[in-house]
Amino acid sequence: MFPKLDPLLHSELRLAIVSLLAGVEEADFNYLKEHTGATSGNLSVQIDKLAEAGYISVEKGFKGKMPRTTCKITLSGTEAFRNYVKALKKYLVAGK
Amino acid sequence: MENTIEQNSKMTAEESLSLITETLNNSRKEITRKSGRFFIFWGVLLTFFSLLIYALCKFTDNEAWNWLWFALPAIGIPSERFLRDKNASENVRNDVSRFVSGIWSTFGFFACAIGAFTLIISLVYPDSIRLLAAVLGLIAELVLLFGLAECITGVALKNWAIKIAGFVTGVGGLAIYYIAGSGWEPMLIFTFAGLVLIATGLIIRIQYK
Repeated sequence: MFPKLDPLLHSELRLAIVSLLAGVEEADFNYLKEHTGATSGNLSVQIDKLAEAGYISVEKGFKGKMPRTTCKITLSGTEAFRNYVKALKKYLVAGK
Repeated sequence: MENTIEQNSKMTAEESLSLITETLNNSRKEITRKSGRFFIFWGVLLTFFSLLIYALCKFTDNEAWNWLWFALPAIGIPSERFLRDKNASENVRNDVSRFVSGIWSTFGFFACAIGAFTLIISLVYPDSIRLLAAVLGLIAELVLLFGLAECITGVALKNWAIKIAGFVTGVGGLAIYYIAGSGWEPMLIFTFAGLVLIATGLIIRIQYK
């Protein structure tokens, strides 16, 4: 029986966000925007969804006078990401 | 990432894994490549200071110019912080860049501690600083520490050129220090170390292009 793929992660933009955050300590909104190429609105919506699920933490603050939103993957986000990759591998092995 | 991810589309397992692998690899490469600029920054600073202090000591024959070494971290640390803050969204850190940064912070701490120790001893016992430095083998200690930090950086980045550069600077610098004797010339070992730092930065930028 195949494990169910996490529907929250099985979406291109959200997966890209989580993959980026999995490899760094933290990243700000502009970094995520630049590296995914998504629009601010769409990125913002997906970040909110991931934050609501507890997969990432979002901190809003200021750098000098400029507002800065910083995102960081949480422990449950890391765990979900790991499980998602494991599940993907099972699908691929079964497909061979 | 070259392509734009605007659609929140569903993907096949292969596409998902490919996206994850590509994202992680690109991110790791980019972060490491950007860390190269700090090697170049410190390399230029070290080369400049070593040549300046060497020239001042040699042409005035006054070892007191050695206190100028403390200006190196005094200028370098705030400038580096300014550069980081200026490009805050670009300067994302990962495990490798944090480890490499930790190696050089530790080196800087030890180098300053040895320098401060020499300062304190020289104030308590106001003999010749050069004599004291010679007794302590200050240059030898610093160049060995530098070589060690450079070698560990090479291990962290899995780069043989950087490992060899660290070994050559550390052990080679030590040999030159003992061969060169007691003139001002051994101080030029730090010029070489500065050039090695610049080369390290350039290697990192090329390797992770």
